This record gives sequence, structure tokens and C-alpha cells, in this order.
Amino acid sequence: MGAAKQVVHADPGDGPDVAMAETRSTGGAAAEPSILLIVEGGVLLAALVLPLVLQDYLTVFATRVLILALFALSFDLVWGYAGIMSFGQALFFGCAGYGVALLARDLDITSIFLVLPAGTLIGLAVSLMLGGFLLLGRHQSSVIFVALGTLTGSYAADRLARGWYYLGGQNGIPSIPPMTLGSYDITEGPVYYYLALGILVVVYLLCRFLVRSQFGLALAGLRENEQRIAFFGYKTQHLKAIVFAVGGAIAGLAGSLYAYHEGFVWPSMLGVVLSTQVVLYVLFGGSGTLIGAVIGTLIIEGVSFWLSDNYRDVWPIILGVLLLLVILFRPLGLISFVVGERERVGSFGAKAKEKHNAAS
Amino acid sequence: MASAFVAAFEILSFAAIIVLVVLGLGIIASMMGIFNFAQGEFVLLGAYVTYLAYGHGLPIWAGMVAAPVLVGALGFALEALIIRRFYAAPIVAMLGTYALGLIIRESVRGLIGGFYLTVPEPIGGSIDIGTTHISTWRLIIIVATVLVMGACYLLLSRTSFGLRVRATLENPSLARASGISTPLIYGTAFAFGAALAGLAGALIVPVFSLFADLGIRFLIQGFVAVMVGGVGSFIGPVVGAGVIGTMSAALPWVMAPVVADVLVFVLAIAFIKFRPQGLIAGRGV
Repeated sequence: MGAAKQVVHADPGDGPDVAMAETRSTGGAAAEPSILLIVEGGVLLAALVLPLVLQDYLTVFATRVLILALFALSFDLVWGYAGIMSFGQALFFGCAGYGVALLARDLDITSIFLVLPAGTLIGLAVSLMLGGFLLLGRHQSSVIFVALGTLTGSYAADRLARGWYYLGGQNGIPSIPPMTLGSYDITEGPVYYYLALGILVVVYLLCRFLVRSQFGLALAGLRENEQRIAFFGYKTQHLKAIVFAVGGAIAGLAGSLYAYHEGFVWPSMLGVVLSTQVVLYVLFGGSGTLIGAVIGTLIIEGVSFWLSDNYRDVWPIILGVLLLLVILFRPLGLISFVVGERERVGSFGAKAKEKHNAAS
Repeated sequence: MASAFVAAFEILSFAAIIVLVVLGLGIIASMMGIFNFAQGEFVLLGAYVTYLAYGHGLPIWAGMVAAPVLVGALGFALEALIIRRFYAAPIVAMLGTYALGLIIRESVRGLIGGFYLTVPEPIGGSIDIGTTHISTWRLIIIVATVLVMGACYLLLSRTSFGLRVRATLENPSLARASGISTPLIYGTAFAFGAALAGLAGALIVPVFSLFADLGIRFLIQGFVAVMVGGVGSFIGPVVGAGVIGTMSAALPWVMAPVVADVLVFVLAIAFIKFRPQGLIAGRGV
């Protein structure tokens, strides 16, 4: 929306910026850390110390939230950066969850080095298939079609899982054994928490690198004005399919972590409710910033946990009202209160300094 | 022969229900170009109003008359306050109406709890045709659907209001230049779509009973039906709803219901993929 101008202006605006950065660094003064960095660092710091102060059952809950944040990240990448409305992101999450559960049940594979790659691959494969079908092809797919296609995929998978005896029907697959690292069992608690946090940080940094690269610039252009990017010679459909697949892989990773953390998988993991929940997280926190997705998840899950004792019935209504207010008045999410538009869009490609040196 | 007749009747009555639900969705999608995720919740509200009337000792048919009026009024208010801001951005509209739907659904859930509440048919019993019996109420649903479709068609094709609606649909800026108040037309169309959903909810509540997720059940089916039929005309979504409703009801007779359910969606999505404009392309009535 408003970002269209920013993106277009980001490039010509680079010149003076580079000069400023140069003078600042040559002047020897430390560059001011940006607000976005402060927010990211603050969240990481809080996440690092959290298990030290929380009771055990709260650490388990916090682990769940971290995994959901990873899941939210996958949706943010797809919607916030490439403008693909994936209303069925839970499909990849749930498929990977079911996949690793079946591996554990039927083949006794619980090693972390096999389980997590397997989950990621399942997410990747399913999203490649669905994305290839929905996004590629002779006709340009409309946003609405992709949204409905993914939504329908998620709904259909949910129905199928409920009716398929091999997958446990309504009850899902219970009592998945703990994930193993050699002979060590990774059970829920601080260990699992730091595992999830570590994976979240790694994936976050990878995503950050991806969206700040030249590829990310093409994505931002795609989101703001697809036609123009197409005229520049990019194969927009391929770009979209790639991002969709990456998002699916991350969702798959999150799904396999979630399945092992909860110890069982059930059909709702594939379904529309979870798919829309992740949309809520990202919209609430602020789509188009990676940290926004994480913060949105933390806030929504945290508040809903906090309120669940007394206000369980009212909370979904409040959530709906808040979401509506955010969509109407803060389309960029809560993060836009602290992070400015310019920083949100950011800069792309190689570091400005290197470019400068190469030029001179 | 008799069982084939019963099967045909079942299929027809289910298709009629889907058509009834989709009609409002299609009108809103064609007119304003937005997919209203709260449409399922308008169906739910219609059902809830009927249940309220029944619970307070009023005749059920009074509830059924009140449902479209009340839901339509709510739709008009929502359009003026909220939906109007979304017309430029279809995705934002989807999310915004989803949030609205969430609010309505959870409010109703708070009011009725997690129960399945039954509302009796105002006209019960069955009609005997030879050796077979068909439910009177389902027959009434079919008749009501046909009447509503006919009335909508006449409204759009024969009245001056319908002319304005079609003008707004085909070329909003020219319509505005010709002195048609397009915001008013949009508001009325949205209210009308909401009222149709309310009516659908009122008519189907004796069949499906009232529960908070009643609307979701129809929402995805409705969207798929609108896309299959083709956005932009009155007849397109109706045809799409007929096709989807018939398939959803007919396929479980020949294969496992779960597979049938999924197959309908897969076929529909594949169809839309290769014919994005839908079964009936073009604008007009």
C-alpha cells in the first residue's frame, strides 16, 4: 500500500545514504543501531532468559509459542514479502507433523537428524506441488484464486485426515516417542525450548538474509506492483512458487517440531482454524517485517493464555475486534508503532560500502 | 425406481440449500468484487434469530420472516461502517470480513455455548408419493429457493432498481456520472446479500440444527461455487452452486463420503485453474 512509493524510492535514495554512512564510519562514531535491531535483540534476549524465570509448565507453553512463531514466520514470508495469500499454511504444518508421526510410529525413526529434515522436506514437497499447481501455468492466477485454493486444500486435507483410518481418523496419531539425539531423549522442558529457540533464530536469520538480498528486492517489487516486475523481465510466477515452497518448508519444520513437542498429531493441525490463526498472528504483529510475525504470535498466544482462566469465552471476540481495528487503522500491524516505514522496507542487496568501493 | 426418486430428491434439496446460501455471496462478489468471509456467519445469524423466536414462544415462521430483515439491516449497517472501506483492496476485504465473521461467530458461540440446538420444522411431516415419502420441509426449501431465484431475477432484469444495479455492476464510474448513487447501490446490494444469507439460515436450521460453526460448513463450498460459476453475473454463481451442490450430494451415493467431499473440491479447483472465468463468463443478469 503505502510501501509502493518507498520501495521505488529506496533505490535512488541509496546515493545520499551511502555517503552518509561513509562519513559516519570514517568519522569514527559508532553507527546508531536501528529500532528494528533493538526490537529484534530485545525479543531474543527476553526469549533467552525466559526459561530461567518461568515455572516448568510455563516453559512448555513458551516452547509451543516459539514453534508457532516459526510457523508464523513461514506465513509472513509468503504473504508479507511475496504477497501470496496462503490461507492454507497449516496444510504444510500438519502434513509434516503427520509425516514425522508416521515415521516414528511405523519405522521407529526418531533421530533429530532425520526427523527435522524429513519434516522440512515434506513441507517443501507438498508446497511445491500445491504451489506449482496454483501459481504456475498459462493463466496468471488471481490472488483470490490462490487464497481460495490454499484454503480449500487445507480444508480438504483436514477432512481426509478425519476420515482415513491409517492416519488415526478423528483422534489422530497419539503417543509419539520423544525425539532422540543419539541415545539422549529430547523431552519437553528447557532443552526443547532452547532447541526450538535455536532453530527459530537460525531460520529467522536465513529469512532475514533472503528478504534483504536482491531476491528480496524482487519480492518486494512483486508484492507492490507485480506487472512492473514482470515488465522488468522477472518470471513472477517462478519467484512466487519459490517463495511459496520456502514458506512450506519452514512450515514443515515447525510442524515436525510441534508434533514431537505435543507428542501427538490430530486433524486440526491441518485445518482451516490453524491456517487462519497464523494469519491473525502475522497481521496483528505486522506483516512484511519478520519480527512482526514473531511478536504477533507472542502477544496473541501470551494474552490468550493469560486470559484463558477467566475470559475464555470473551477472548475470541476481543481478538476479532482487535484484528478488525488493526486492519482498519494499522494495516502494517503493531510493529508499525515503533518501526518506521523506511526501516520496514529497508535496503537490499550487497552492503552499500562494498558497492561504493567497487565503484571507486 | 422409488429409491432413485428419493436419491434425486435428496440431491435436489441439498443443491437448493447451496444455491440459497450462495446467491447472496455471489451477488456481493459480483457487485463489489469482494469475497465476504462473514457470509457464513450471516447464515448463522439467520438461524440464530429463528431459534430465538422459537425459544421465546413465538411461531417459528415469524422468526423466519424476521431473520432476513434483521440480518439485512445488520448487513446494511456493517457495509456503511466497515465494509465500504475495503472495496479498493480485495485481500484486505477478505481479512476484514474474516475478522467480522470471527466476532459474530464467537459472539453466537458465547450466547448458545457449544451445543447443537434443534428447531422443529414449522411444517413437519412428509408427503407420500406412491410408495415413497419425501420430507415436506425439504420440499418447501426447494420451492422457496426457486421463488427467491425467480424474484431476484425479476428484480434485476425488470425493475428500474435492477437496471441501476446492473449499470453499477458494469461500469461504476459511468453509472455515477449518470446520477446513480453507487454507494447507496452497494449498500443495498450488500444488505440484500446478507438478507438472503439470513433467509437461508432460517430455512435450513430445522435440517441442520443450530451450532456456532454452522456457517463455516457452507462458506468454503459457497466460495468454490461462486468461482466455478463465474463472478460478475447473477446466473453464474447460481449455476455454480447448482453444480457444486449436486455433486456434493450425489457423489456420496457412489463412493465413500470423505473421498467424495474432497473430490468435489479438487475437481472444482482444477476446473477454476483451467477456466478462471468460470462456467458462465460475462456480465449482466
